[in-house]
Amino acid sequence: MDSQSYLPVPPGVGMEENFLSLDDILLSHERLPSRTECLFPRLGYLEKTSDSQDIMEGTKMELPLWLAKGLYERKRRVVSVELPKVYREGWRTVFSADPTVVDLHKMGPYYYGLGSQMLHFDSPENPEIAQALLQTFIGRFRRTMDSSQNAYNEDTSALVDRLDCLERVLFRMGQSGLNSFQGWEKGRASHLTTSALVLNYRKRKMADLQA
Amino acid sequence: MDPSEVEFLAEKEVVKIIPNFSLDKIYLIGGDLGPFNPGLPVDVPVWLALNLKQRQKCRILPPEWMDVDKLEDVREMERKEESFTPPPSPYYMELTKLLLNHASDNIPKADEIRTLVKDIWDTRIAKLRLSADSFISQQEAHAKLDNLTLMEINTTRSFLLDSLNCMFKLRSNMQPGSGTGKALDY
Repeated sequence: MDSQSYLPVPPGVGMEENFLSLDDILLSHERLPSRTECLFPRLGYLEKTSDSQDIMEGTKMELPLWLAKGLYERKRRVVSVELPKVYREGWRTVFSADPTVVDLHKMGPYYYGLGSQMLHFDSPENPEIAQALLQTFIGRFRRTMDSSQNAYNEDTSALVDRLDCLERVLFRMGQSGLNSFQGWEKGRASHLTTSALVLNYRKRKMADLQA
Repeated sequence: MDPSEVEFLAEKEVVKIIPNFSLDKIYLIGGDLGPFNPGLPVDVPVWLALNLKQRQKCRILPPEWMDVDKLEDVREMERKEESFTPPPSPYYMELTKLLLNHASDNIPKADEIRTLVKDIWDTRIAKLRLSADSFISQQEAHAKLDNLTLMEINTTRSFLLDSLNCMFKLRSNMQPGSGTGKALDY
């Protein structure tokens, strides 16, 4: 029914990103609070808050994940990355209390993806973060499953609203299972429909071919 | 898998029909059928039974389990038991739909049967969801899917598999060193 004419690459979720996944590309632009640990000569023009020519040691700034990951090295400390709020002790307690009440889309929207990526920056809290991510997923699983399998033919925006991007993909999977079954039960499956591939295919104009 | 594919597989099941025409044995790749004699019951696959029925050349005898009393027993069992009870037929949902839609005049109490089968289906799906949830929350590594039918598995397959994949990846995060070796190559 809602099959697509191409196969989207799923996000990598774990510590490895999928190079071709759109979600992972968006994820790599998440900003992380970080602090420079050495002098960056002649890069002062990147930092608008000060007038100096260099970026001083100890400057606090927000770096996108892809840059922070590239600069971070265990031996030679170039930058240090702080944990975003949602992964710190305080929020972890909230998640362990009741993961279902949290609006992960507002907190994330790549809560699981970014959390796994944070494990690249050797923080002493890493095991706790990994544990919290897993427990949150497990805690919220039931709700994602029930809402995706019970909402037939209704507005799902309220259900999807608070889900993380990863959970939204799962939600859509559940919905497609439900929809195809209901469609079959109602006898809609016996009607022939145009394939999505043909539907999306537009005739190429003669001009395009000759150019 | 699409539900219509599951339905296609179900059409291989055998039902009894009473033809009102005569024909010699027919030889097909899947096996020999017939001979057909008016008034004598004969076993044929569902797809042929429905085809003959639509051309009004036969009467379909409902399968043994498609009976109000038997289905009521199954429903009670299903509600009482914690785990899945053996389904009346491995394709009970598909066969009910096919036979009731095309040959409801040959099946006594068709409406009651439809409701009963739907009840059984709903009970089983609720159980399936419950067990999927406990499967996830206890982080089990394997599950037995005894007594589940193909159609039931098919409704949650993609969702469950994707969730398990995600869970596996999140879990492998907890083992340090599983992904770090590669990550240092930047």
